Amino acid sequence: MFRMLLWKEWKENLWKLWFCGAASVVFTIMLFRIRIIPDFANCILISVVQIFAVPVIYSLDIFSGEISNRTIHLLFKIPVKRWMLFFSKYLVSAIGIILIFLISGLLMELMSGGREARMLFLLKTNSLYGMAGLVLFTWFCAFGCQSRSEAGSLVAMFGVFVGWGIVLLWSSLCDVTWAERFVPYSLILMRIIKVGPVGTAFSQILAFVAVLVIACYRYVSIRRYL
Amino acid sequence: MRVSGIIHQQICQLKWHLLACLGLIMVLPIEEAVVNLKAGDGFFSTNMTFPAIMFGPLLAGLIACANVQGDLNEKRYIFWRSKPANVKLLISLKFFIGLISSLIILACPVVFAFLSNIIWNKEGIDRMFFRFYVPLPILVAIMTYSLCFASNVLVRKTARAWLIGMLMGCLLLVLPFMLPLDYKDFVSDVIFLPFGFYLAIILVASAAAFVFALYAAQHDWHLRTNLKGLLWVVAGLVFVLMMLFSSQIANIKVLHEKEIEPSRGRFRLDNAGDSIVFQGQSYIDIDKNNISLRNISDNPDDRITYMPRMKDYSVQIYPRSGRLYKKAGNDVYSLVIYAYYRREGKARVYEKVYLRSYGFSGKSWIPVCELDISDCLTNRVNFISVAMRIAMRLIGNKVVTCVNDSYIVVDATNPGELKRIETKLDVLKKGRPFFHNRQKEFAIPLVPLEEIGLEERIKLSIDLKYQYRSFKSAIHESSVVDVYDDKIAFFLVTHEDIARFDVTHWDKEKVYCKFSAARPFTILEVMTTSHYSDGTFVKNGKLYSFLNDALMVFDIRSNRRIRRLGHFVRMNYEIEDMAVLEDGKILLCVRRVQDPRKSSPNKRKWYLYLLENPQ
Repeated sequence: MFRMLLWKEWKENLWKLWFCGAASVVFTIMLFRIRIIPDFANCILISVVQIFAVPVIYSLDIFSGEISNRTIHLLFKIPVKRWMLFFSKYLVSAIGIILIFLISGLLMELMSGGREARMLFLLKTNSLYGMAGLVLFTWFCAFGCQSRSEAGSLVAMFGVFVGWGIVLLWSSLCDVTWAERFVPYSLILMRIIKVGPVGTAFSQILAFVAVLVIACYRYVSIRRYL
Repeated sequence: MRVSGIIHQQICQLKWHLLACLGLIMVLPIEEAVVNLKAGDGFFSTNMTFPAIMFGPLLAGLIACANVQGDLNEKRYIFWRSKPANVKLLISLKFFIGLISSLIILACPVVFAFLSNIIWNKEGIDRMFFRFYVPLPILVAIMTYSLCFASNVLVRKTARAWLIGMLMGCLLLVLPFMLPLDYKDFVSDVIFLPFGFYLAIILVASAAAFVFALYAAQHDWHLRTNLKGLLWVVAGLVFVLMMLFSSQIANIKVLHEKEIEPSRGRFRLDNAGDSIVFQGQSYIDIDKNNISLRNISDNPDDRITYMPRMKDYSVQIYPRSGRLYKKAGNDVYSLVIYAYYRREGKARVYEKVYLRSYGFSGKSWIPVCELDISDCLTNRVNFISVAMRIAMRLIGNKVVTCVNDSYIVVDATNPGELKRIETKLDVLKKGRPFFHNRQKEFAIPLVPLEEIGLEERIKLSIDLKYQYRSFKSAIHESSVVDVYDDKIAFFLVTHEDIARFDVTHWDKEKVYCKFSAARPFTILEVMTTSHYSDGTFVKNGKLYSFLNDALMVFDIRSNRRIRRLGHFVRMNYEIEDMAVLEDGKILLCVRRVQDPRKSSPNKRKWYLYLLENPQ
């Protein structure tokens, strides 16, 4: 049954993969062909746009779509555990986000061919942004899995973006290193804010698992629409 | 309709949104103030006020959507439309209540910063910040509010309306940069006084959105959207925008790119008759858009110059880098001026000046003739330790050499035997004209040489007037003068525009010129290039201007006067030299300047680029 759920979510969200993938590919090709700015800067520019755009597109109706269309009633009547419903949605979104970043990273490598940056440097950089994007999406799930409309989801996603931005700013200004490690942006700003990669990775994994559990619990405990 | 009742209802409807926006916009300034207080500086905010008010346009759009959506969702809409309500009045009231509320919220961080600085900041208040950085985001917020309001009236979905409104706002702000609008004072309006330009866009867009919202509500217009379609449209628009952007500043095609070995000093491309000499060592061959280098000598260690040194003397060379080549039959010669000087304190005392020609012996370059032109040194001392002004130009078989204020014409029919044929001492007036009013007709002294033709004399006079300097001049290889259809014109590049001046008439002593047209730079051109006329020259009816990382090509003979044909920008690279080939293609010699930290295997790299000449 879980495979059927995955298949349903995959089909429903395939357009997002197409959309984000196509947009990433087109803009990567364009920027790496015209080369107004260096390859590394192009990579950062594309990755920054992706880190904000891709999670927003996935989050807009992944949970709220079912509620606003009232199909959640039908979904909850299927004889499967609710956590499976949540994870089918989450996994499909996570795979989509990872694929998009992977495609654009590989394309960047292919187009630059080591002409300005070391081989695999652009792929590595883009992948780090992808990981940060996935973490941000996971945080959104905790806040936005009960939202009833696209607007609610959008506000939740922006809340996550801005909220972590504020935490990052505060922790940097006040030298609160332990807090910096939990900020998803620290994955891409490790060199600037000088946090250790091991400590950051450990903190991120810890936070990631905890947030995922909270998101799953919140989705499972949706009561009011039934 | 009770107006006060509607106002009350609107405020009640918006109160939570307003409080949320207030909280969001005040977080950063308060956070900064707390940090400052903790550091013992006082409870004030300055730096974070700007990022906070930069959020203003986004929040204003959010308030606009929340403002409309409340009364336009299906059930409430049916309810109030069934009443004898004045739709236009209601929508107008909603619009202005929301607008005033959002402006009050936007003003909060500014007022907080202003008051907290006055009370607690010992260094006083930064008035420049409030004067220059605060008004623009607030004006943009007014526009985004209006656009989001109008789109929500039409779409009736908060998130989508917000996205559409923001996208329209971005388009309105960015599109004028992309379009080649020839505003007379575009640069000064947009760069230095942005409000004059934006004010018009913002006010017109806001008013239009408001009027549109009234009509849409009155006639019950409702646009049904779906998320997928909307996102594709957004992506399409962004793509078009980027295409416009790239067509503005990256529209010269790179045909071939060849990495070259590093060398000391700047790389140079010099014309030697029908071929291009690279770095004095190799000919550049272009075959089917492929660049290849062919060594002049079999021994790569051979240098093009053989420079005799004199003890206790330094030497000033012209051309400073590169050479002036002359072909005589199958032989290639290079011509160089050497000026020997010694230092006395800060002054340079020049003793001797020679014009030397070098011939290629098959293995190396050796001096074949030397002409002493030291009599040009009527003033031997340069007190402020700057280089002497030297220039030369090959006109037919004659070489015109200029040293300080004097000219010498040399017959170089056989560069192995240079012969002086004309000398004029102290006839060149110093100084470069700065236009107080370029609309007025002005005169340029005509070079008083009898051995060269009038047209070439006029060209040389103009080039000397504007390019004859001590630190750098490219008179030996290029000119800013265009002669076409019996008309002579020249071009000067400033920070603001490219100006065309026509030669109206001349007499025995002077050339009379008049300003004819100017082509202002667009904001993108200004942003990507810092212009002055060092790298500017005219060839075959086109004006080429290059500096640092950008090259621009202009058509100067079309009916539309000065028309930009192409723009090539490659940030992080520096154009060291360029040449236009016989077939019109452009050859660039570029150096990669800086690499992003550890991302690059090598710190510096040099390339030759073959570019298509834009038509």
